[in-house]
Amino acid sequence: MRETIPISFLLPGTEAMVNDIRAGDGLSRHLVAMGIRPECRLTVICADRGSLIVSVAGSRYALSKGMAMKILVERIEVKAQ
Amino acid sequence: MTRKIRIALAGNPNVGKSTIFNALTGSRQQIGNWPGVTVEKKSGFAHLGEYEIEVVDLPGTYSLTAYSVDEVVARDYIIDEKPDVVVHVVDATNFERNLYLTTQLMELDVPLVIALNMSDMAEKNGTAINRMKMKKFFEIPAVRTVGSKGEGLDELLRAAINEAETSPHHEHAIGYGDRTERLIADLVAALGKDPAISTRYPPRWLAIRLLEGDENAQEKIAESPARDAALAVLAKINPAETEAEMADRRYEVISSLLPQVCTTCVRTMNSSDLIDRVITNRWLGIPIFLALMWGAFELTFAAAAPFSAAIEAFMGYCAGLVGSGMEPAWLGSFLGDGIIGGMGAILIFIPNIFILLFLLSVLEDSGYLARAAFVMDRLMYSIGLPGKSFIPMLIGFGCNVPAIMATRTIEDPKDRLLTILINPFMSCSARLPVYVLFAGAFFPANAGTVVFVLYVLGIVVAIGSAWLFRKTILPGKPAPFLMEMPPYRLPTIATSIVHMWDRGSMYIRKAGGVILFGALIVWGLASLPYGVEYGSAESFAGMIGHVLEPLVAPLGFDWKIAVALLFGFVAKEVVVGSLGVLYGTGEDGGSLQGALLADPSLGPVTAFALMAFVLLYLPCLATLAVIRKETGSWKWTGFSVVYGLVVAYIVAFLIARLGFLAIGGI
Repeated sequence: MRETIPISFLLPGTEAMVNDIRAGDGLSRHLVAMGIRPECRLTVICADRGSLIVSVAGSRYALSKGMAMKILVERIEVKAQ
Repeated sequence: MTRKIRIALAGNPNVGKSTIFNALTGSRQQIGNWPGVTVEKKSGFAHLGEYEIEVVDLPGTYSLTAYSVDEVVARDYIIDEKPDVVVHVVDATNFERNLYLTTQLMELDVPLVIALNMSDMAEKNGTAINRMKMKKFFEIPAVRTVGSKGEGLDELLRAAINEAETSPHHEHAIGYGDRTERLIADLVAALGKDPAISTRYPPRWLAIRLLEGDENAQEKIAESPARDAALAVLAKINPAETEAEMADRRYEVISSLLPQVCTTCVRTMNSSDLIDRVITNRWLGIPIFLALMWGAFELTFAAAAPFSAAIEAFMGYCAGLVGSGMEPAWLGSFLGDGIIGGMGAILIFIPNIFILLFLLSVLEDSGYLARAAFVMDRLMYSIGLPGKSFIPMLIGFGCNVPAIMATRTIEDPKDRLLTILINPFMSCSARLPVYVLFAGAFFPANAGTVVFVLYVLGIVVAIGSAWLFRKTILPGKPAPFLMEMPPYRLPTIATSIVHMWDRGSMYIRKAGGVILFGALIVWGLASLPYGVEYGSAESFAGMIGHVLEPLVAPLGFDWKIAVALLFGFVAKEVVVGSLGVLYGTGEDGGSLQGALLADPSLGPVTAFALMAFVLLYLPCLATLAVIRKETGSWKWTGFSVVYGLVVAYIVAFLIARLGFLAIGGI
């Protein structure tokens, strides 16, 4: 069983799969439309004290720590920095 | 015989939708608001052959749920106004994510055409989209376009016309699997009992929205006799589970089609990401932002100087023509002092304003501004502002009116009110003439730096006020930040110029309208009662100024400045226009800067205090009107006036007093 953690704990270069989104209906729907949905793969591009830029299906999104804490993921592999 | 059709442009944000809209409609655009909401509506006309095509630009959205006002506006337009064709503008470099909106548009029962925009970039990245296969699978024609170069637009219009004229158009539908399809069928049957509902809304679409728990869709059936039957169907399901299943199903369809229509639609780490690592770096992010802004202001001054000098020389020449022996004397004064003195003082700054707006447009079009918002988010959050309020604050550098309108993208009402209240402190381009005039006269060697400091002062006051409001009248925490970062693009000169013109042309219209009017009133007050020496203490302007003088004396300002500040309420450039009139520089062609330098009551300290006061005091009339409109409250509008005056007074007082102490003079 892999460990499920908020995406804000990931380091740049990490690839992960979204497991669950802990947000209200409206926000969840919005995230899904943007392509951030359970079972999608994303890659962390930049990370700074919990805020992130992630790559999802070709798009780049910036998330503040508050937002990033709502998205729970499983790590896939850790690339060399 | 012209034939008319109407098309709507839909698409995600940052896909070049506006570029396509501008390229299609040229200058024949109308900008207004969508009825009932404060979202900007743009429409215009394109022509192809015998067709006149009305093009409506829908707000950029990721989906057509009811997440934001933008989404509701876009989908209500398609449902209620039934355009002949919807053109879905898709970013070809980012095909997969864009298709989610396609799946929702398909359900709205309108003919669709897909514009694969930015195809040149996609091809450069090695992405090849097979348009024939797309047509085969989706039954939607796809056209290759490059909005920034105007490629493929005629073909796009031809495809749209073709879809509009082919009837009946093909029904596109996504199958949601047996269980959900049965529910959809039940709901469609239930809603079919109310013809008012089932003819107004596409029944399948409404059924799908209801299954997904869309509150806006529930409101649509709240009054309908079919409501109970529909609710009975909905009672059988677990809403969250059904919604997730349906979203999954859409993505399944997308991911099964994707490899067939697009061979290489996978983006790997690219140069944008490497640039982001530097630009959004923890230590470098804010210094890079400040350096860019400082560079922009320096460049504004350096590049505008020759143009301003030319306009000034021209104004001097005109003033010379009317000044020398025109009869009657009052007409010479009217033209020389009133019109040339007042308007000329403003026109000189047009190069500065346009160059600054151009540089801001370049930063925005290159994709940098979105990064700046992200870099600033942590700082913004810690003082109680949402990261999204950063964009309205930056637009405020251009003009506070569109900036306050831009707060509409902020969903949380408290976050939005806070952003509106602090926006007038962002130094708009109308204040630039005041800075250029005074900084140029009293700080000739460091004018760029002084202006930069004033912009920073505005930001600091805005931030301090936000912090204060969060502690007192608007307690709470800002919403977390979530924003798409568009890939870096080399902005084309043409797009940035269009962008600049959109924002800057208002300034020229203002110069001919309200500013001219203000200058003429000041001229009238300075010339009357009849027979009085022009602009003297005995004129009406002098009397008003002397009444106000004791109020502003502690700041080191005299009566002329008091009058200028009073009229500056109409628009901040009027401060310069009024001074131009009061110092009577138009007539003899002398420069206003020279007249100010020669005034013994002015020095570097008072000049700086005055610039700070103009920056912070009262929002201008247009800004007040938009604050009233956007907050819907006179109370908050009044608050904004009083708060601005108090802050301006305190700051100017401190600058004046500390400055006198420091340099021992004015």
